[in-house]
Amino acid sequence: MNGRLAERVFHGRRAASSALIVCGALLLIVSATSVARGAIARGAARARWAEIEAERAVAGAKLSTGGARWSEARGTPVARLTIPRLRVDEVVVEGVGDAELKAGPGHMIGSALPGDSGTSVISAHRDRHFHPLAGIAIGDTVVTESAHGTVVWKVTRMRVVKAEDSGLDARATPTLMLTTCWPIRYLGPAPERLIVEAVPK
Amino acid sequence: MHSLGRAAFAAMMIVGAGTAKAQITTFVASPPRKNEPAQQAAAQQREKAAQDSVARVAMTGMKEWVDSASAALAIRPDTTPTAADTALGTPRAATAPPPKSDSSANARASERQPEFRNGARAPNTATPIPMIALAGVVLIVIGMTTKRRERSASVRVRR
Repeated sequence: MNGRLAERVFHGRRAASSALIVCGALLLIVSATSVARGAIARGAARARWAEIEAERAVAGAKLSTGGARWSEARGTPVARLTIPRLRVDEVVVEGVGDAELKAGPGHMIGSALPGDSGTSVISAHRDRHFHPLAGIAIGDTVVTESAHGTVVWKVTRMRVVKAEDSGLDARATPTLMLTTCWPIRYLGPAPERLIVEAVPK
Repeated sequence: MHSLGRAAFAAMMIVGAGTAKAQITTFVASPPRKNEPAQQAAAQQREKAAQDSVARVAMTGMKEWVDSASAALAIRPDTTPTAADTALGTPRAATAPPPKSDSSANARASERQPEFRNGARAPNTATPIPMIALAGVVLIVIGMTTKRRERSASVRVRR
């Protein structure tokens, strides 16, 4: 009798351990799929940006970019962002929704495009495209290419605000704000936001 | 008396004829009142259909006109850059909506997405993916450890 009970317990534990392994594998598959989809979307955004640049070169004309028109085209590449020291080179897409942030940093709808007068807000995931922002420092150079041309920015201010606090100000002068969740090297919910401000050099 | 009888007969004929005529006219000329709203509705529908067809013809004409105008612009040989050319040279990205997005999806996205205004909050850019991956790794490690222990225990029991 004891032998049968022990056998049942043994089989039960074995099944439980198998179930744990299967569940863990499923979770890994889910996260890997998400990362893979993000990589595919990023590649598509880069390809689209290259296509746009080629079309611009052929047309020899700048994009006419009214804010309203761009705001309708979510997911469309609108700029390229480079931080040479941190080896960041990303294509910025329109919108900061889940789908857009998978493809790359997102340009916040309603804010100015980089190079236009006003505040331009670009946000990205802390564990993906803006992970290198953990090492950014005041004085770093940021380069943006958009319909308004190429602009070289200089980081002038960095601040961490609470998630529920208002941190983005509308300014009349060209200002670039890069935002991501803070702390950057942290797993779990993000209680704060990192805002990096830059002005044209 | 005879003349009186004739006059009475004539009067009866006139009145009778008038009455008979009125009955016949009433029966033929005025249809039952119940049908009037239905007829009016049918007439309105016919009129509306006629107006629609007129509108469709007008739209078709506009399309042809626009097509012909654009064709004329495209084949014009010696044109200096104009506003129209700039618009033609504008990459699709500026005007075309992104692929794989319908209007309802855009509406849902606009509800979710924060838009910039003075004093806006920075968007939430934290993802649960690292946590999910970590949880997966932990579950696999626990499962494998348990399995190994059970295996070694069963080997001990057999010995």
